[in-house]
Amino acid sequence: MKKWLRENLWRHVVGMTMVFFSLFPLYLVVISSINPSGSLQITSFIPREFSTKNFKMLFSDPTIPYLIWMRNTLVIAGLVALISVVIGASAAFAFSRLRFKGKRLGLQTLLLVQMFPAILAISALYVIMERVYNFAPFMGLGTQTGLILVYLGGAMGVNIWLLKGFVDSIPLELDEAAKVDGASPMQTYWLIFIPLAAPVLAVVALLSFIGTFNEFILARLFLVDMESRTIAVGLQGFIGGQYSQNWGPFAAGSIIASIPIVIIFLSLQRYIISGLTAGSVKG
Amino acid sequence: MHHVNQLKVAKVVKYILVAVAISILSFLAQSAFAQGEIEIALFLLVAIFGIGITYLTKVSIPLKFFLPGLLFLAAFALGPVLYTLVMSGFQYQTGNYISKDAAIERITLLGVEPDEAGTTFDVVVGRDASGDFAVLASDPFVTNQYFIASESELEPVDPAGLELDSDGIAQGGSGFKPLANKELRRVDQELTQIRFKYKGDYFLQLEGSDIAAVKRQKLEYLSDSDQFRNLIDGTLYSDNGLGNYANLENPDDVIQPGWRSPIWFSHYIDLFTDSKVRAPLVKVFIWTVIFASLTVLTQFALGLLVALAMNRPIWGRRIYRSIFILPYAMPSIMSILIWGGMFDTEFGAINNLFNSDVAWFQNANFARAAVIIVNLWLGFPYFYLVSSGALQAIPSELSEAAAIDGASGRQTFWRITLPLLLQVLSPLLVASFAFNFNNFNLIYLLTGGGPRNDLDGEIAGATDILISYTYRIAFGTNIQNLGLASAISVIIFIIVASISLYGIKKSKVLDSFK
Repeated sequence: MKKWLRENLWRHVVGMTMVFFSLFPLYLVVISSINPSGSLQITSFIPREFSTKNFKMLFSDPTIPYLIWMRNTLVIAGLVALISVVIGASAAFAFSRLRFKGKRLGLQTLLLVQMFPAILAISALYVIMERVYNFAPFMGLGTQTGLILVYLGGAMGVNIWLLKGFVDSIPLELDEAAKVDGASPMQTYWLIFIPLAAPVLAVVALLSFIGTFNEFILARLFLVDMESRTIAVGLQGFIGGQYSQNWGPFAAGSIIASIPIVIIFLSLQRYIISGLTAGSVKG
Repeated sequence: MHHVNQLKVAKVVKYILVAVAISILSFLAQSAFAQGEIEIALFLLVAIFGIGITYLTKVSIPLKFFLPGLLFLAAFALGPVLYTLVMSGFQYQTGNYISKDAAIERITLLGVEPDEAGTTFDVVVGRDASGDFAVLASDPFVTNQYFIASESELEPVDPAGLELDSDGIAQGGSGFKPLANKELRRVDQELTQIRFKYKGDYFLQLEGSDIAAVKRQKLEYLSDSDQFRNLIDGTLYSDNGLGNYANLENPDDVIQPGWRSPIWFSHYIDLFTDSKVRAPLVKVFIWTVIFASLTVLTQFALGLLVALAMNRPIWGRRIYRSIFILPYAMPSIMSILIWGGMFDTEFGAINNLFNSDVAWFQNANFARAAVIIVNLWLGFPYFYLVSSGALQAIPSELSEAAAIDGASGRQTFWRITLPLLLQVLSPLLVASFAFNFNNFNLIYLLTGGGPRNDLDGEIAGATDILISYTYRIAFGTNIQNLGLASAISVIIFIIVASISLYGIKKSKVLDSFK
């Protein structure tokens, strides 16, 4: 018993402390969301009342177009995930499987490019998209189409890099066999490689989805209209530094928005952690 | 047979896709060209030719796989990086935003002055007998004059032939046809630019749809010498090289608006020599380094502590693990906003929990502490996960051998486990440092970079890191200085690239490229 205490007690002390630290904000959001007063002020850390008022408000109050924000986020993050994987997969395939001149240089450039956060070039992106607006108002500054294009470009480097890492781990034998049978690279890609890589592509698409979901500043700069905002920009504008007001509905909104992301994340844990150790950090 | 059909279908699909892509890009290129966005139009042309050559010929098979990604990278990643570099060499800020030609046009248009009496007329806008735009002006009270003025002619008319309203203001007649409301709205923009003829140097300019003021040109552009001349006192204004026309005898006397003008390396020189620019930048830079280092240090230390505690099959380890992962699984945006509420002075849960009364975001040091604490919550699970993995990879023989040699648990940790861990994890520590160096969301959403002294016009706040400071310079509320912001961005590029390259060298990723 004494030995157990000496060896394991501190582990549980650390564990319990960290459980408190980890869960405290999450617990607080949950009790705030069911607190009918909707106020930031917590009179008791144990909920005394239960109400769905804050949740109902999200779906009925015209000043919070929550469902529209949700739809915008799903459309933007979904399209970015889909297109970037379709485009990224072919580039990753070429890097991983084809032999060509300048491959090493290409990989080094890609490695450098994927490290630069798009936010560093934000002034330039702003001015460029302002100029695009001059001749194509449907895809310039202030439009979701423009934002999607900027996201695609900004995430392309990371996605190709990530995909290449995964693709490298798919065994070579099958596409070698296809090559021996006289298949062209295009045929190998579409008939052998894509079916094989499908699960990996799905993982990268979901990771890209999480990344876009978490992007704030470009979305904020691009999407000015209330109706075109993403959930991140919408909720941030909603509490807008005034935490004392609107806290209840915000808590409810952030819970609903977070649940799908947490589920995706937990189900992809294995891939994310191996991707992390390969040197990339979640945004 | 089946196989051949499939190939045919694939070919048709390919041609359709190529045709669609080329048509869309051509349409855009044409519009860009028409609007004078030459650089963008040229890029689109290159893209069109690239697509055509790559997919309709057999020049290069790898390029068929690369081109779409390459075009996106060029347009929205590499392009903006180069554009940032270009913008950093320009005077590019509020008041210096348009091109030089546009600025000359604006100055000429705005460089007028009213006559001494500030004369105005009640007018109706319409067309004269020959169909040109004209105003029918009335002055029933002072001079009892009525006239029709077009751009070229000023023609007095007899009130007897006019339709006057109850105030004596002419509404039509004498061949003058007022514009219908619908047309008035359509040509509104055009009308504000027209100068209707008046006496001598003076002309009439519309101020709203029913009043015209008597004005004359004050500033005249001299295209031979690229100067503006004040027609009244003769002052000359010349290009000052900083994007404005300035009075040479009194350099502070500049004409607005200016234009974006190439000033080459001035922003960079200012960054290092102008104390008004340098002082806040140095302050922000120091905090950025402290913030990123402290973040990595605290996240790693806490993550490692938890990993060590969980490095035995203790009871409930799986439950612990799934709880510790939660802060990392939450969308960070939401977590940061939630923490922002918790640090609220009056009602926040932190002050409530500790029964304290700290104004977290109003005091520089408390705000800095809050930033570090929140980032610790966001990031410790990452280091817990990677440290756990790394701990399991350390062969147990090593610590057993140390124990046999008489080393205490503590000695084994400091002398053997930690150095080994650091060796494995150092690329991740470097990557994390580089990431936090630009952790814009945390700073912007939690403290907004504050506290800062707005009354003194201070832009840099106590928790501002370089990237959030740059954002404020570029998109702040007072002056938006895109040129200076770009120059700082370039500096950050260089710093982050150096750090990351160092990390990559350590991780030996480059060696694996064949």
